[in-house]
Amino acid sequence: MQKQEAMISVRNLKMYFPVGGSLFEKKKTLKAVDDVSFDLYPGETFGLVGESGCGKTTVGRTIVRLYQPTAGQILLDGTDIAPLSEKEVLPYRSRMQMIFQDPYASLNPRMTVSSIVGEPLRYQGMNAKDIDDRVRELVECVGLKEDHLNRYPHEFSGGQRQRIGIARALASKPDFIVCDEPISALDVSIQAQIINMLEELQARFGMTYLFVSHDLSMVRHISKRVAVMYLGHIVEMAPVNELYANMLHPYTKALMSAVPIADPDAAEKSKRIVLQGDVPQPINPPSGCPFRTRCPYADKGCAEQIPELKDMGGGHMVACHKV
Amino acid sequence: MSRLLEVKNLTTNFHIGVGCVQAVRNVSFHLDAGESLGIVGESGSGKSVTMMSIMGLLPDYADVTADSIRFNDREMTKMSVGEFRKVRGNEIGMIFQDPMTSLNPLYTVENQIAEPLRIHRGMNKAEARKAALELLKRVEIPNPEARLKQYPHELSGGMRQRVMIAAAIACQPKLVIADEPTTALDVTIQAQVLDLLNHLKESSNASIIMITHDLGVIASMCSRILVMYGGIICEQGTVREIFYEPRHPYTWGLLRSIPKMTERKDEKLIPINGTPPDMLCPPKGCPFAPRCPYAMPVCRKYLAPNTVLGETHSCACHLLHPNAPKVERGL
Repeated sequence: MQKQEAMISVRNLKMYFPVGGSLFEKKKTLKAVDDVSFDLYPGETFGLVGESGCGKTTVGRTIVRLYQPTAGQILLDGTDIAPLSEKEVLPYRSRMQMIFQDPYASLNPRMTVSSIVGEPLRYQGMNAKDIDDRVRELVECVGLKEDHLNRYPHEFSGGQRQRIGIARALASKPDFIVCDEPISALDVSIQAQIINMLEELQARFGMTYLFVSHDLSMVRHISKRVAVMYLGHIVEMAPVNELYANMLHPYTKALMSAVPIADPDAAEKSKRIVLQGDVPQPINPPSGCPFRTRCPYADKGCAEQIPELKDMGGGHMVACHKV
Repeated sequence: MSRLLEVKNLTTNFHIGVGCVQAVRNVSFHLDAGESLGIVGESGSGKSVTMMSIMGLLPDYADVTADSIRFNDREMTKMSVGEFRKVRGNEIGMIFQDPMTSLNPLYTVENQIAEPLRIHRGMNKAEARKAALELLKRVEIPNPEARLKQYPHELSGGMRQRVMIAAAIACQPKLVIADEPTTALDVTIQAQVLDLLNHLKESSNASIIMITHDLGVIASMCSRILVMYGGIICEQGTVREIFYEPRHPYTWGLLRSIPKMTERKDEKLIPINGTPPDMLCPPKGCPFAPRCPYAMPVCRKYLAPNTVLGETHSCACHLLHPNAPKVERGL
């Protein structure tokens, strides 16, 4: 797999946001994503996990160029799309789509389903007849019915709305989709429906997914490779089976052990590593290793240098001074 | 063990403009002293409304009826508003889901924790402050003296939840109701809060009712479980009975649709098809019948009676009738 040509290569991506700044206050920089690099291969699902505020959503949004990155490269089939202007990036947009977290906020309440799903096609300059045919095809793809086409988003349940969002993302026949927490707003019994559908659509159209989520068991289920983020950095990255069997970074270990197991016997046996304290503010991150303030193994050296991602073999990368 | 809470035939309807939402229908359950009970269900299954009905926290347009709600050997359905107030916040503490909206942004941490102590225990300001400081130490908040003077917006999500827990246990309640206490928190913070709740439960011997949709949280926290769907309790039993010998098709579906961290990963998830019922016009028979792969004609007509399967285990499903076809739990 590693021999394959990467479809998207992210190199040293940085995304900083200016915050604050008033008459009495100096402008500060929020380092949402700080020096992140990874490759996405055609047809794979790459999971990105971490807690809120770790920058996982920002990575997804920056790759589809909803933000202008501060520094770094985003190579889409060899072309760097990071420095392109809003206008120049437009032709690439149809290849990269996004499924959003909140199916209530991400659909325009004043538009019917057919106009929501057809909107990307109108921007591509397709004629009305073709749009109509394509919309019908798409709606059927995601398990909705034709008589849903003229309804408005408020008439649908959360799971159905997410299906509308997925149909919209599929409209322009993308080969890369960022799934930004697509199931976290849904009920447990509906989550599995959406996940299965995403898997079926991937098998059918061969798309690449960047699956951003905080649900570690779902990421394990759907992803081929997984990266764990903490405070804007990737701390560990590996093929999924390798990562879940052989975690190396102390944060990954704590994160995995903190997931409540839905099995009383296994829950009794497992030992939870409970981290002390909260995640530091990304406005004022600690020096050196971002995790050192909560790490049980941290020592002086960890405060001095930011650990680099080291290759441990078999595509398993980890950023820790202690490994 | 003594009965702490016994609810018989609780029904809650909401009269709204377009009709009547039947949020909870004929729910009966009990809770022993020192026990931890989990209520699982999806949004709209009636799990929160059940608890809010018992606590009398619902708005006026809610119509709550029950044959009996006995708490600590007193009948709560017959209590006056004043008597009820003496129980709520004093003998029953509540922890809500979202600590940002359930703490008052205009009060300091000290005021929020001291409020129940001053009202129910008649403490003066200095006493209440001392007690609040002790409570903050009990919920393991770092630097508690400084926190007393802070406002909720200055605290992180995990801290706010700790403050809310401190306020809930301030009067040493016999029962703590936790409504999705960790849903708004990150996993590592959730682990901290669950640890704290377990720890407090052991040290105080209070009973806990934990409302959640997360089966993982239930498995590690509770000894007995109620599974709710469409406003009714479809199955109840001990943790082991629900996880290892479930009898209701909805419980099967629920357990099957979550990926297990311990399982092989290539297995496909088996979702429950369809969507949860609209409680404005719930299905006539079993609420799960429209989504149930084993539904029989009788399921669509009549609600299933509660079948007792053991001392602690019972389930409301027509499949348990002796004449019903035997179905395999597809796994």
